[in-house]
Amino acid sequence: SCSLSITVHVFSNLIMEEASPPLRCFSESHSSELFSDDGVQTVTSREQVSLTLSISYVCQFLARCQSPTGGFGGGPCQHAHLAPTYAAVNALCILGTEEAYEVISREKLLDFLYSVKQPDGSFVMHVGGEVDVRSAYCAASVASLTNIITPTLFDGTHNWILSCQNWEGGLGGVPGLEAHGGYTFCGTAALVILGKEHMLDLKTLLRWVTSRQMRFEGGFQGRCNKLVDGCYSFWQAGLLPLLHRAFFKEGDSTLSVSSWMFERKALQEYILLCCQNPGGGLLDKPGKSRDFYHTCYCLSGLSIAQHFGNKDLHNELILGRDENRLVPTHPVYNICPEKVAQAIEHFHRLPVPVQTGPTPSAMDQS
Amino acid sequence: MAESEEEVDVLVQRVVKDINNAFKRNPNIDEIGLISCPEARYNRSPIVLVENKLGVESWCVKFLLPYVHNKLLLYRQRKQWLDREALVDITCTLLLLNPDFTTAWNVRKELLQCGVLNPEKDLYLGKLALSKHPKSPETWIHRRWVLQWLQKECSPSGQELKDQAEPRGDAVGRRPCERLQRALQEEMRVCADAAGRYPSNYNAWSHRIWVLQNMAKDNLKVLHDELSSTRLWVSMHVSDHSGFHYRQHLLKALARELSQVGEMELHPTQQPNGESTAGASDDNHHNDVIPQLFHEEMELCTDLIESYPGHETLWCHRRHVFYLWHQWRREHLQEAGSQSPPLTHIDVLLSEEPCDEASASQAMDVDCVLDGSKHGSYTQDTKRLKRGPRLPHPGLPSEHTFVSRILTGCRSPEQSCFAIAYRKWLDSVIGQ
Repeated sequence: SCSLSITVHVFSNLIMEEASPPLRCFSESHSSELFSDDGVQTVTSREQVSLTLSISYVCQFLARCQSPTGGFGGGPCQHAHLAPTYAAVNALCILGTEEAYEVISREKLLDFLYSVKQPDGSFVMHVGGEVDVRSAYCAASVASLTNIITPTLFDGTHNWILSCQNWEGGLGGVPGLEAHGGYTFCGTAALVILGKEHMLDLKTLLRWVTSRQMRFEGGFQGRCNKLVDGCYSFWQAGLLPLLHRAFFKEGDSTLSVSSWMFERKALQEYILLCCQNPGGGLLDKPGKSRDFYHTCYCLSGLSIAQHFGNKDLHNELILGRDENRLVPTHPVYNICPEKVAQAIEHFHRLPVPVQTGPTPSAMDQS
Repeated sequence: MAESEEEVDVLVQRVVKDINNAFKRNPNIDEIGLISCPEARYNRSPIVLVENKLGVESWCVKFLLPYVHNKLLLYRQRKQWLDREALVDITCTLLLLNPDFTTAWNVRKELLQCGVLNPEKDLYLGKLALSKHPKSPETWIHRRWVLQWLQKECSPSGQELKDQAEPRGDAVGRRPCERLQRALQEEMRVCADAAGRYPSNYNAWSHRIWVLQNMAKDNLKVLHDELSSTRLWVSMHVSDHSGFHYRQHLLKALARELSQVGEMELHPTQQPNGESTAGASDDNHHNDVIPQLFHEEMELCTDLIESYPGHETLWCHRRHVFYLWHQWRREHLQEAGSQSPPLTHIDVLLSEEPCDEASASQAMDVDCVLDGSKHGSYTQDTKRLKRGPRLPHPGLPSEHTFVSRILTGCRSPEQSCFAIAYRKWLDSVIGQ
């Protein structure tokens, strides 16, 4: 039988890395929220209690990562970048208190999004940076959660994302590149947020992603003929709920009413048997060391595999002991569905801000 | 073991100087690496230079990196001044140890813009960083910035501005197009090296595509050269999906560019669009070259699939090449219209046939084994027969023949799996 225990350790020497505290806030808090409090005194429960007490501290820290011109950077006084912006907003929504919501300056966030928007519909990751499809997802995610979508914000974005789908069925980082799990998830999820997922070649995408589950390992690879990696448990397997919903909306009568279109048990086996560090935390594959990113995305993938459906039609498949059960995660935002609903409800009481910053055409694109 | 701040300061100064001197002593350093060495021994420099390889003993990194990192941040926050030479040395040291440190690359952008740093030198640093960190996203991103900057510098308007400033007698003053040419060739080399250091290196191959589009501007000669030069590489890296994807990109680009050339030859006064009247002799140029390219690629694929059973990438490549070929063929037959006579014998072979096994046999296969009753041995004789006359251009029937041939006597379960999946794909995707 498979047992699961998670201990979140804090690494002390991450100062050298540009990869940011907001990302760690998100991956740590999401990893924690996936464990419901089952009354058992595990190390995780204790961590959760201490997290509750330090919500305020985290809010204050993230506030310092917010740029005066909008968006969040990798650390205090750093330039805003879409990846930590995505992580910070998600982390604040997980925290879900008034204080957390109020950290986000919505007007400035909108300005930031316009400042990275390109005339062809794409977004750069930061001012002066490069375009890739992750940016569209980060932008769509934060804008939809905080209710700052203006009529022009995503002009052309869906067409640009669609052009990233290649003959294989997956999406590349920019048009013309190799199909890749991370980029495919980002592009597809962004299109779902924009309501345009039906414009993808869904059948070919389905064929591509289902071919990425490894016959022997049970986990997913990021691209054809590559090795399995625990993090693709979310980026790849996470596509199946999105596709299921898309096919359902098209009225597909052959769709399963009990399972996503991948081998759920095999994925759970891979994660539980191969991706756990004995001291806690999760990882890419046996032999690799643990890190927050893999802990977050292995757990997210485990949740996807365990839970099929939504509130109305729900089916659980828990491999191993009952205590292996995680709570469901939202397939688009990858935070708990209740937190998504709560955030959307809060921010939709507020009016959409008016864009005050310069438009993309007016900015110097160097 | 604990070092005082002064000791660290002295150590760092020394290391930065040693690295700088190493480059001065040997401008041909082509690789950097970390030497596993947990403790400092004797009182010698942690910088080791042997032939063209620069090594850094690992014990010094934990002192070096935070210190140098901090110094740069203080400079950025305007709390501590560093002169330009110091900035060059410090960023060099930092980036060799941690090439994903964006701030350091940004400092170097500024140094480039004010003329302190030479772009070729900066590209060289990037190349070294990639020898140790072949995927480093920030290094590739910075590289593209430098190359774009270099292109602007070498453009006609950029040159005028430069000539007005100071005349430069060194190598930098060489004719701009030569400089860009060298840069282009060097980029291809850097991409190939990085691709060899990490399997299926997405960033390296994506960069290579970027170079084709932005530096070579999809020039036909470059596309052809790349197709020849990567042929051997992919044959030695048969699981490298990114490498084969690059070849797919080349084929697509070649088909597109050659078609445009064909259009322009036919209608020199018109803009190339999708229309073309068939039958002109100029049409034969691209009508033969493109099928030939696809045919050669399929042959390469066949060779590799047979030589290295069970590699998914090869089957994936076959699908893509066949798909591209199928698409191109359809477009060009449509263009030609139904009233034109077949241009070459190719068109006769290209016409669709029902794809069942019975009709799949062709003259050369008469003596070959196609039926499933012969198991096991794949004799030399059969092989010779099958390789005999030149294969006709790929079509559904020949693909089905190929699959059957592979399945006969196939001992690799993965290979059988891929072959069967390929056949299924042919039927469901192509053969509808």
